[in-house]
Amino acid sequence: MTSSSLPRLTLPLTPAAARALKVGDVVLLDGDAVATVGMPTQKRMVSEVEAGRELPLSLRDGAFFHMGVSYEDADDRPGTVHYVNPTTSSRFNHLMPTLIRGLRLTATGGKGGLSQESVDAMRDVGCVYFSFVGGASALLSEGVEAVTDCAWRDLIMQFRLNRLRLDGFGPVIVAIDANGNSIYERLMTSARERMPEIMRSLRSSENKNETI
Amino acid sequence: MAITYDLVKEVTANLYDWSLRRIPESSKAEFRKALATETEPQARQTLAFMLDSAERAETTGKFLCSDAGVPSYSIKIGSGARMEGDIRQAIVDGFAELTRTIQPPLLRFVTNPLTNERSFHGKDMPLVSWDLVGEGDYLDITCAPKALGGGRWAAVEILVSPSLDEIERCILEIVLRAGGQHCPPVVIGVGVGGTFDHAAKLSKDATLRPFGERNPEPMVADMEERLTRAVNQMGFGPMGVGGATTTFGVHIEYASGHGFTPVAVSFNCWINRRTRARIYNSGVVERIE
Repeated sequence: MTSSSLPRLTLPLTPAAARALKVGDVVLLDGDAVATVGMPTQKRMVSEVEAGRELPLSLRDGAFFHMGVSYEDADDRPGTVHYVNPTTSSRFNHLMPTLIRGLRLTATGGKGGLSQESVDAMRDVGCVYFSFVGGASALLSEGVEAVTDCAWRDLIMQFRLNRLRLDGFGPVIVAIDANGNSIYERLMTSARERMPEIMRSLRSSENKNETI
Repeated sequence: MAITYDLVKEVTANLYDWSLRRIPESSKAEFRKALATETEPQARQTLAFMLDSAERAETTGKFLCSDAGVPSYSIKIGSGARMEGDIRQAIVDGFAELTRTIQPPLLRFVTNPLTNERSFHGKDMPLVSWDLVGEGDYLDITCAPKALGGGRWAAVEILVSPSLDEIERCILEIVLRAGGQHCPPVVIGVGVGGTFDHAAKLSKDATLRPFGERNPEPMVADMEERLTRAVNQMGFGPMGVGGATTTFGVHIEYASGHGFTPVAVSFNCWINRRTRARIYNSGVVERIE
């Protein structure tokens, strides 16, 4: 399957559009998303949400990605994009349920997935998780048309809230859907179940050393 | 003649730069092999996308990953090597100059662990290990910068008088805990024995061994093959979204030790970042990988 034949989705999604997606769907993304990789950023976001304040870049019903962004740092606004790349979302497991519910996100993404508490929050509000291929910066960056805005400039570049305009970003995989299905939970459960058999297959193929 | 400050500064900076823009040739061959055997459609698509992106990075000079990692060098010193000037400082200065001039610019990723301050510099940066080897008249330098995604899952467990079964179970449990989080398909490096620090270093060295090279001891080589199969039976697959290609290979090194046996496991993400060169006393620089 070539990338050009994949279905395209425009962000932000409506909750209904998010709920229509199924685990395993492969798509390209267009439209607007906000990205950061910062732990301080997301802690600050949680504080703002809990205090009932709006974020400086609107994220309500929007798409929020765990992704690093490098661009020309002009005085008043972001310049040319150099590259983007996802980071590990599970680092933010403890913060994401508050952000998903508080901002009523309809899409999130990065790599590595999110834990069950986030899956539950995503099911409640109608939100999907997209898996991006880590280390595929050369191709993923081609799907970013521009960094259109940024906020919290007191933070280093990849920790700011960076608003991106996407054009054919991906391919990305729906790894957690809005109906409570998670590839990550399913694969971990299945791997744990296989462990006794895997250990048996190791032992049967070779004689092992004995304690002397 | 001697190996000079200027030469080490230039070569170590270049190795770091090159490591950001291409995957090793032996990795590319493994991707092609996996594409011939992997049956899950999403896994195949992910593998193809990875290979395409790596080839694109190589031809355009773009970065493979936005996380340029903690710069780290493994240096093997031949006993016949003659050095001139402050060779450690040459690596520090080469890295500092590179962060000022490299295009596209690097993001700030070097982190002070006590204050969380991020910059392009920091205490003990770059990380360098030095080993004395054989009689060669060279420095053999491998640059393998470590990013967060693959770096955070490494672990050392210390077992007491374990059987081989218990060692293998320990390795597989560390791998299971990491799941598909480390940007698979990864190289898994294992160090067994020695001491806590030595086992960790062995596991890192094991990740740097090229594909296709098995441990020379048949018993260890057999262990590598069985554990490679076992890891792939777990089913995490490329990028952890399912499939039979979680690891391209488990590489094992061991050392004799005491009754306490450290078991260390480290992971190298699919871009398997490493470049290697030798600098000879004559001033000749040989690019190895």
